[in-house]
Amino acid sequence: MPPVLTIARLTVFEAIRRRVVLTVFILTPLVIGLTAWGFSKLTHLSHNDGTPFSPDEARLRIAAFLILIAFMFSVVMAIGASFLAAPALAIDIESGLLLAILPRPIRRAEMVLGKWLGLAIPLVGYAFVAGGIELAVIQAVTGYLPPHPAQAISYIAAQSLVLLTITLLASTRLAPMASGIIVVVLFGAGWIIGIAQTVGATYNNHALANAGTAFSLAFPSDGLWRGAVSALEPAALLAEGVQFDPLAAVSSPTTAYLIWAALWAAGVLSWAIHSFSRRDL
Amino acid sequence: MIKGERQTPTFPEERDTPAIRTLDLAKRYGKITALSGLSMSVPRGEVFGFLGPNGAGKTTAVKLLLGLARPTGGEGWVLSAPLGDLQARRRVGYLPELFRYQEWLTAREVLALHCSLARMPRRVWADEITAALRLVGLDARGDSRVSTFSKGMQQRLGLGVALLGSPDLVVLDEPTSALDPVGRVEVREIIHGLKRRGATVFLNSHLLTEVEQVVDRVAVIDRGQVLALSSIADFTADTQTVKVRLTGLATSGSLEAGAFTLRPQMEGWWIARGIAREAVPDLVASLVGMGARVYAVEPGHHTLEERFLYLLKGGEHASGTDYRPADGV
Repeated sequence: MPPVLTIARLTVFEAIRRRVVLTVFILTPLVIGLTAWGFSKLTHLSHNDGTPFSPDEARLRIAAFLILIAFMFSVVMAIGASFLAAPALAIDIESGLLLAILPRPIRRAEMVLGKWLGLAIPLVGYAFVAGGIELAVIQAVTGYLPPHPAQAISYIAAQSLVLLTITLLASTRLAPMASGIIVVVLFGAGWIIGIAQTVGATYNNHALANAGTAFSLAFPSDGLWRGAVSALEPAALLAEGVQFDPLAAVSSPTTAYLIWAALWAAGVLSWAIHSFSRRDL
Repeated sequence: MIKGERQTPTFPEERDTPAIRTLDLAKRYGKITALSGLSMSVPRGEVFGFLGPNGAGKTTAVKLLLGLARPTGGEGWVLSAPLGDLQARRRVGYLPELFRYQEWLTAREVLALHCSLARMPRRVWADEITAALRLVGLDARGDSRVSTFSKGMQQRLGLGVALLGSPDLVVLDEPTSALDPVGRVEVREIIHGLKRRGATVFLNSHLLTEVEQVVDRVAVIDRGQVLALSSIADFTADTQTVKVRLTGLATSGSLEAGAFTLRPQMEGWWIARGIAREAVPDLVASLVGMGARVYAVEPGHHTLEERFLYLLKGGEHASGTDYRPADGV
């Protein structure tokens, strides 16, 4: 087995043995169950005068609530990616585990790529399995399915990979806690600046819009989240004029932006390899 | 296979080259010099003791040799390849001083991981793992998780990891630091076994009494530089002292024999200090002339610890010191 796959397999195995996977398997059905109950209540909403919502009105509320759930899911995925990647190399360096592994015929690049792969596969897998089940359950309870469910999950998975990659870069040089904090702050800042960008675009404030664009290029986390939102928004919701909503997206990311995000992740991963290769143990 | 007397295969062109060679190897961490100009040569098939006080640069040197750190100066070769070479690393086993293994794996899984990383063919893994576990006395605990192991058991596991695949060079950094006396004897036996099959052992240890029993050659370093490098016999030889076992002379206290003075020791042994090697026949002739029956004449001998302390307290360099590596990589 190539060293990259050996390390990837070891990383997945570690997540299983350290009961990370078990914890997720217990918590996820709980959360899905709770949201399913919440959505079932949304179908019976009525106006203040007691008139029941029309099916279209109810669908709009369900769509908006689904975006909220997706936001929670993206935050969980982002923080999960940071928590998994922050100690990935740093703890192995600090504990001395790598002193026994790296004298073997394995390149530093293979170590970094193996760790990345071993974290990325479960993350993306979880995004599709948990996201898919959540959407299926919501559809079963409410009859509503967003316009582009697979696309939405893909955007959220891609966002978690962006966070995973930059956390792994930090992990080559910083202690796990420092790496985690930096990436969570970046994630939060990206989200706020993304809102500022939306406000800037809506009110024709170029400074805000340009700052938002610049940050979304420098750190393509919120840009991908906006892609997930656009994939979840039904046309009727957009027609209601909810552009000021912090959880709304004006448009989908362009193909150029998606290519840029992929190049950005590849560049940061290369930087992580370079950083780790030059690190003395 | 790990056990047995199988000879370590080496490439023909490598046989005459040292297992390790460094030339002015240096490492600085910012303003701190961890290693300054380490030049040494470790012959193949020998057990090489790498000694020095705390902070001397021993572990730094080991890390440079294994590609764990990058030198800031000088050059080095391991098994005829430049430092860090991947192919050479396939034939190196290493037990770190700070030994830590995946506590969430079993001993057998840790060994399998290293079989995989060392690119061993899958078909030999089972035999390698079984042999390694047996050799280090963990055959009954192969399926236990590392988290249940004592410190000593983890060190035994580390030794098993280092010996997987019959490496040509085994680097052992304080291999007995967590072991009990029985374990230490076992490690000594393992080192003797490695030497018998032709492997080179690079041994870094503070336990000088143990080192003295297994090494062929020693290097003493301090402040990042080699103070002495020689065979253990030369290093511990006392060239100014001779021991003589004799009978036939009725005397109490010192014995005057020509220009030499001998002092009594245990069981018929006498010791003459300050005597050059070429004067030994004259001493024996004088004793025989006085009517003594001489049964044995032996050169004096220091313990490794005595020589080590002497060197570090600013004494002369060890006799037979070879400060420079042999020519050729």
